[in-house]
Amino acid sequence: MKVVIDRNACAGHARCHELAPELFVLDDDGYIATDGFSVTTEAEKLALRSARACPERAIAIASDDKTHGQEQ
Amino acid sequence: MNSATEDTLTIPEHVPRELVCEFDIWDEISAAGVCAHQRAARFHDELPPIFYVPKLGYLPGAWVPQKTEDLRRILRDTQTFSSQSTMPFAAMLGEHWKLIPLELDPPEHTKYRALINGLLSPNKVTAIEAAIRQHAGDLIDTFAANKRCNFNQEFADKFPTLIFLRLMGWPETEAPRFVKWTHTLVKSQDMEEVVGAVAQIRNYLMQKIQDSRANPVDDFTGYLLNSEVDGQLLTDDELLGYCFLVFIGGLDTVASSLGFHFMHLALHPEHQADLRANPDKIPIAVEELLRAYSIVNMRRIVTCDVEIRGVQMKAGDIVLISTELGNTDPEVFDDPCEVNFDRGDGNAPHMAFSFGAHRCVGSHLARRELRIALELWLQKVPVFRLAEDCNPVMRAAGVFGMDELIFEWD
Ligand code: HEM
Repeated sequence: MKVVIDRNACAGHARCHELAPELFVLDDDGYIATDGFSVTTEAEKLALRSARACPERAIAIASDDKTHGQEQ
Repeated sequence: MNSATEDTLTIPEHVPRELVCEFDIWDEISAAGVCAHQRAARFHDELPPIFYVPKLGYLPGAWVPQKTEDLRRILRDTQTFSSQSTMPFAAMLGEHWKLIPLELDPPEHTKYRALINGLLSPNKVTAIEAAIRQHAGDLIDTFAANKRCNFNQEFADKFPTLIFLRLMGWPETEAPRFVKWTHTLVKSQDMEEVVGAVAQIRNYLMQKIQDSRANPVDDFTGYLLNSEVDGQLLTDDELLGYCFLVFIGGLDTVASSLGFHFMHLALHPEHQADLRANPDKIPIAVEELLRAYSIVNMRRIVTCDVEIRGVQMKAGDIVLISTELGNTDPEVFDDPCEVNFDRGDGNAPHMAFSFGAHRCVGSHLARRELRIALELWLQKVPVFRLAEDCNPVMRAAGVFGMDELIFEWD
């Protein structure tokens, strides 16, 4: 599974970071510091929860087969 | 402030009669007392998804969209729904400074906002967490043994003020005057008194800015003094705009939220018991309380004719963004009036701190203050309830608040 982040939409709520600080790393200003990443099977549920928690809907989840060409 | 004159009550021609709300929404909400938020939530059943109020307290008429989706769209479209000149303070003094970054729109907003994001990031808040704890604990210790406290006076007003002063690098001894100014700004019905307070705050902040220029130190103002936008140092008016905004954005909001959250717990011993038994639930409980007891009502000005949900808005119209209504939309939240700490994953994100570019820059600090206050209270004070002689007074306005909260315990 892959997490794809629309950084332009990030407004710095940091809800994702609150739920999963290791996955969703913030920059010094408190905004998301990554465009996305692959998620291990164990972390999938946590990533999904974090995506749902984003007030700006900036976090999308893609299954691996749908994301080629989107290697971040 | 009873300055709503006849002409502000004229309803523009393009507003269909059937969308006009006949009663004063803030009076109606205030009259509901401790059930204010439940009263507001019923507007979802009683009034159209977007309705029009001919006046808002002393402010002129505005559209009131209730649906979270519409509010989200409006907050995101900063070109059509502008934040410029939405606050009255400079105008009260016949001056032209703006609250920064609140009264700016992107792309200007982005540059000014970027300067302060780093000052209030989650990491920065973590760095002062020990101090926040200390302030909260010390305050609670002053009354814990009394078995009774006047919540606003003895705790809610002081706590965020002490943190604010620390953030600004100003002495704690200034707290009483800040509390007094905040009270006048949010509670006074007397326009002259309000203008007087605004002038005093302005003069005080300008003096601090001058002092800082003369004698730079490493605090909030000192940092801003050395900051540039487009290669230019900030002007005094810009510095004032920042400081005034942090003052009105960071003091009364936290105090009011504390009031509602603690009132809820005083009225719901089962929720107190739940959090006493499960303190790890406090962060999620704070989120739910922020949702169910949202307090902020901001405004936007329509810059060009636009249609939302079939409603025609025209350039110059004002739109009220009621976070209370957005956070009780039954399409988004099941049983929206129910405070349920276990909404869990199904819980949609709330908008107590707004959506989009103007998302509350103090949200990380505010959350931490609210959590720590709750945590330490539950540790230091036994089961508390509203005192028998307590008659809370609800105040619906730009920022909702609950006055005269007195708690007791055994
Ligand atoms: C529970 C407490 C608080 C609530 C509910 C709250 C709510 C809000 C909301 C809804 C906005 C958006 C306004 C808009 O879109 O026009 C906002 C903006 C803002 N808040 Fe807060 N706030 C709180 C605490 C704080 C604190 C503690 C600070 C400062 C330390 C602060 C500083 C600001 C600033 C500077 C803005 C303007 C951001 C911008 O325009 O980009 N707030 N707040």
